[in-house]
Amino acid sequence: MAKLLFSTWQGEFIDNRGKSSNEWSESGFKLPETYHGEKNSKAFIGWDGVAIFDEDIDAVELANQYASQYQKYSEACGRCAPGRWGGKILYDLLDKIARGEGSHDDIAHLKEISQTMMTTSKCEIGRTVPKPILDLMEYYKEQFDRCIDAQIPSKHYNGDISYIAKITAPCTDMCPAHVDIPAYIEGVRDMLFADSLSATRQTMPLAHTCGRVCPHPCEDACRRANLDEPISIMELKRIGADYETDHGLGWQHPYPPKPLKNDGKKVAVVGAGPAGLTVAYYLALEGIKVDIFEELPVNGGEVAVGVPEYRMPISKYQKDIDLVLEMEAVTIYNNHRVDANRLKEIEAEYDATFLGFGTRLSKKVRAKNENPKMGGYWGAIDMLDKVNLWNKYGIGSPASNELKDKVVVCVGGGFTSMDVVRCAIREGAKKVIMLYRRDEKTIIRNTTYEEYHEAVEEGVEFIFHSSIEEIFDNGERIEKLKVNKFELVPDPNGGRAQLVKIEGADFEIECDYLIPAVSQSADLQLLPEEWDMKLTSWGTILTNGKDYMTSKDGVFAGGDCEYGPMTIVNAVGQAKRAASVISRYLYNGGKCTLTDDEIMEDHLSKLKVYNKNEKITGWMPNIPRQVSEKLGVDERKTNNREVNLGFTGQEAIAEAERCMRCYYISMVAV
Amino acid sequence: MSSLKDITITIDGKECKGVFGQTILEIARENGIYIPTMCYLTKVLPIASCRMCVVEVKGVDGFILSCQEKATDGAVITTQNQELYRERQNIMKLYNVNHPLECGVCDQSGECDLQNKTMEFGVDIQTFTAKDMARPVENWGYVSYDPSLCIMCEKCVRVSTEITGDEALKVKFGGYSSTIENVKKDKNFATLGEAASVCPVGALVDTNFKYSSNAWELTKIPSSCPHCGGGHDVIYEVKKGKIYRVSNEAEFSTMCSASRYGFDFANENVTKDTKAFSRAIEAFNSAESIIFANEISNEEALILQKLKELKGYRLISYEARAYQKFMSAYSKITGKKLYGGDLKTLSKSEAIIIVGTRVNDDAPLVKYSINMASKHNRARVIYMHPIEDSNISNIVTQFIKYDAGSEEGVSALLADTLLRDIEVPNEIRDILNELDIGNLSAETNIGEEELEDLTKSLIKKDRYSLVIGADLYSHPRAENIAKLLALLEKYAGFNLIATPPAGNGMGISLICELDDEVKGKTIGYNVKGDFTLSAFGGGDLDMPSLIQQEGTLTSIDKRVVPINVALDYGGYILNDIANELGLKSKYTIEYTKELPLESGFKNIEFDSLPDNYSITGEENRGYILSEINTDIDNSIEEPLEFEGIDGAVIYNCNPQEHFSPFTAISKILKNEPNLLGSEQFAIAAKLKDGNRVKFVIDNIEFSRVFKIDTSLKGTIALNPTYDMGLSTALLSSYRFNRLEKVGS
Repeated sequence: MAKLLFSTWQGEFIDNRGKSSNEWSESGFKLPETYHGEKNSKAFIGWDGVAIFDEDIDAVELANQYASQYQKYSEACGRCAPGRWGGKILYDLLDKIARGEGSHDDIAHLKEISQTMMTTSKCEIGRTVPKPILDLMEYYKEQFDRCIDAQIPSKHYNGDISYIAKITAPCTDMCPAHVDIPAYIEGVRDMLFADSLSATRQTMPLAHTCGRVCPHPCEDACRRANLDEPISIMELKRIGADYETDHGLGWQHPYPPKPLKNDGKKVAVVGAGPAGLTVAYYLALEGIKVDIFEELPVNGGEVAVGVPEYRMPISKYQKDIDLVLEMEAVTIYNNHRVDANRLKEIEAEYDATFLGFGTRLSKKVRAKNENPKMGGYWGAIDMLDKVNLWNKYGIGSPASNELKDKVVVCVGGGFTSMDVVRCAIREGAKKVIMLYRRDEKTIIRNTTYEEYHEAVEEGVEFIFHSSIEEIFDNGERIEKLKVNKFELVPDPNGGRAQLVKIEGADFEIECDYLIPAVSQSADLQLLPEEWDMKLTSWGTILTNGKDYMTSKDGVFAGGDCEYGPMTIVNAVGQAKRAASVISRYLYNGGKCTLTDDEIMEDHLSKLKVYNKNEKITGWMPNIPRQVSEKLGVDERKTNNREVNLGFTGQEAIAEAERCMRCYYISMVAV
Repeated sequence: MSSLKDITITIDGKECKGVFGQTILEIARENGIYIPTMCYLTKVLPIASCRMCVVEVKGVDGFILSCQEKATDGAVITTQNQELYRERQNIMKLYNVNHPLECGVCDQSGECDLQNKTMEFGVDIQTFTAKDMARPVENWGYVSYDPSLCIMCEKCVRVSTEITGDEALKVKFGGYSSTIENVKKDKNFATLGEAASVCPVGALVDTNFKYSSNAWELTKIPSSCPHCGGGHDVIYEVKKGKIYRVSNEAEFSTMCSASRYGFDFANENVTKDTKAFSRAIEAFNSAESIIFANEISNEEALILQKLKELKGYRLISYEARAYQKFMSAYSKITGKKLYGGDLKTLSKSEAIIIVGTRVNDDAPLVKYSINMASKHNRARVIYMHPIEDSNISNIVTQFIKYDAGSEEGVSALLADTLLRDIEVPNEIRDILNELDIGNLSAETNIGEEELEDLTKSLIKKDRYSLVIGADLYSHPRAENIAKLLALLEKYAGFNLIATPPAGNGMGISLICELDDEVKGKTIGYNVKGDFTLSAFGGGDLDMPSLIQQEGTLTSIDKRVVPINVALDYGGYILNDIANELGLKSKYTIEYTKELPLESGFKNIEFDSLPDNYSITGEENRGYILSEINTDIDNSIEEPLEFEGIDGAVIYNCNPQEHFSPFTAISKILKNEPNLLGSEQFAIAAKLKDGNRVKFVIDNIEFSRVFKIDTSLKGTIALNPTYDMGLSTALLSSYRFNRLEKVGS
């Protein structure tokens, strides 16, 4: 492993040059000292400094190559005067010095242009590119001087070192699907809404969906939060998607799908949920034949049959689904239950198989006398299936047949439980109670502020710090529940607070339905026993989290059945990566490889792109985040109309104007 | 948006008031404080590419972009100091890196922002250099692009996206090699002239003007559009009796392409032909009717009206008459002489319904406003018409096709749908209740689910607009249609615009008591008559074109706007004839102050009419007509059953660049006046691409080459009328007609 020789990363100054190895200091950052496998990095250079791992580094050429990346980078730049001209001047001057034709005046001009770029550039890319270059000019001054004084090229100017660059942004890095968020926000700001959607679709086919029901982890990594409030990133995604629907646009992606290869290779996908659809989309883009096997008569997986209409209208989700299913390379087989035997057949027939069957078994609440077969006991997944199949597709019968005027108790605390209680309200339940072991703050953290408050407004009664001890039935139906109350006792040693049962605070609830929504698990029975597939300790399919191949060669897995019940965007991110790996696996003799871009993506995630302590300069603070209009409680609680009306045009543009375009370039020398 | 909150900020020591949502730059400009900019364009949203407008805000680290950043209450702002000057100077240095120095042959020289700011910031030495690259000049038709002159301010892209909506121009990213590209070269949009007009340098220029004159040699004559009815400002740029180009106050306003490129219609080299003049007087003395086209000023219209009062002429102007009758019926419901809407309100709408006009072609300024609403407000745009228009699919959110001829039913359906939950007087509710919706739906071919979707589009929106147009005015049931639609302005709060006919149709309709039919001998004014006064030359007596007169026009915004003499005219004018016939007025513009008060005109002298924009872009040109109350009569008839128009149908419709024979003679405007139809039309009409076909409308024979236009669908073809010379203004019937071939 390479050793850190020098670093200015994020203000941490390390200079081990000329020191004996026992005097060397270590970095607190997870810098990419090893590039990949056995390959070491010589240097890492990026928006917040430079780190050198190799004595032999050519600092002049490193700076030069970094500046050249800024010229190659085509997404954002050339859109402001300091960036367009400044970036070019920076590169030209560095190249002049590196090839041995520079002067000391050039150094002065480099500093001057850097200053202008750092103060006035439109996006962070222009503001940050000069920083590590200035660091190199300062701390590796002798290398610059040598090139100038001797008028000789720098030692690796001949190109014998590879440089691998990657553009990112804090939000993009945090997004599991690595969506090019600044690009789609810029599309809104420029009022080029189709371009906005295209930018999203590069890594996220489900733009309609993730513009509505994504828990937006990106917003926790928004630099704008360092100034006032994060950008409403998720809702801006919806603008491009809605534009597509409003104007009946055709194919919206930066490029059309490649022609179907027709070379006999084909990939099977089990499950047409977010993961399965995403794998199919990116494979089909490459012209690779994909067959999807879906157990249900309808497509879209849990987002279709789990997420309710009022949060995710099926007419919108269907756009995302059709986008994938209408691709030439994709075939869908509905009502096609894949069991262990069928999976063996599929695996034998197809060149690669992707498992994306989710977690569709509701876990129990673990109470005494818990009998899933008892009348009134209704797993969340089954209950939501029934509600959604009827409301969205007219399949089955209304759940109000069961729930109208009934008392419904749900045990949960996550998104699924919120969907259960709010659907129960809409199906006419007389009283809806949510039991949750922890407190209000935690339920908001696990879901969203809006979700919780809207549920309260609609009349859901939340009982916190509670759990069911025992279920009572009359032999046919559940009649009542015995509930324990807990309190949170802080750990005097500063550890995590403990839930302690309050003696004598037990109470009973009479109810007609108990809907457990504590968690879901994957249906592992469909995995052939003889595959002896490796599983995680929490009962999901094990992969290395990088290429998503399972312990069975040629079988990949992603989404909830791999990770456990998680978000749509997580499924999309995993599946996008899996599709990329599969597309090479099919043609390189069955090896799982990552692209440089993916390797860099993983390095940056480890390093962490967002720095919550960074001070923001050059932006007006206290410009409030825009909030979209929601249907009033009386307008929504008896129907399935979409609650969130989305941004108006003015709100969307105002919000997009708050985005600071925090694009960064990072580069590794290997 | 959060509600408007008053704020106070301090700029360079001066206390300035504003509301939250305004940018620092806007408040500075309102207060007369100068902040330099290169990419700022008042009429579009902030672009933020030049970074010249940076300022310092007390307590905030770094430089703040004043054009985009909103001012917050209490902010203390410095716009000028040494550091800011230095950064701005550096930006100007950057702009000059590799900018060609052949200003002597650049069209922009003399009015170039780059020249001006280079001087302003004292850039007398260049400390920066960069390796240049080849950037070939491109000819895009109406405009040409020289990327080596381009400073990538993106103003042109914004105009193309945000205002004209052609969406042809885009930024092609890529560091120093970034450039502007035309992604719709094949279309050769004349509206790219609007993009060129905001170019701060000589990168995007009118191809026709290129290398023809130095900017500073041209005399600028402000006037108003004679063509589109929009009445927008135009500036004729003249040298030695020739117009070189037409510009405008492009910082604030946008022109129609006809006025930008259709400026070569002056009636030139005319002298006073005394014999022809005597014959004209004789003709006037024996004529019973005067028939005229729309391209006359308000003052000329008043002269004709006064001649009518004096000599009893029948005044015939078909389009204006149809509009007059329509608006008269309309006012019976609203109690106002004119519609309540205007373009600015339209551009701020959240939902817009368009009925009875192929708006992209009929009224460019209306289209711009709708596009702005679409871009700024994500406006729902419901386009109702018998022919889908692929040119506006980027704006329209719902197209509702109805059968040609069924406009009365369409209006009834709209009234019924949009007034369902609104309180209206009982007699109107009774009328609405009696409507046979099923039958109307069948007759118009509009499905109930389409109307349901329309209603859904309006949920939770405010600021509705309704744009209606010429298909309705010439409809046999125009008056009942007017009343049905007027209900929407009166009771449902729609910002309604009844797009006036091109030229000065609105002015004529407000000034003249028009008659329906010709009687006896006729005087034609820009129309074929027994004696023809013509601004095209070749008539019985020459007349000046609107480019050679002073006076006023009345615009779609109900604004009375001045026109001025751009080119001299040596012959007789209408006022000479009027004086000979007994009116007394030395100059035509003496009539400006006499325009009828009862139609909303004001008693203001021509020379007192203002003609400018404020620094923040408030239009201060001429005056807006006063609102005139009229009597209310709520009687509305039940829609009549109508016979559909079967088979191959032709629709009288000019392309966006053309309005009248005055644009037809333009050498710059390109268009072949062909009959354009779909493959389906070709089959229905038994025509092949390239066939010549003859047909007659209103006794005017058209001989057209038929061309297949693959962007069209259905069995209705577009028939231009602008090229029919002295016959164009004789067209009076409904715009849709069954194609009856009379030969080939």
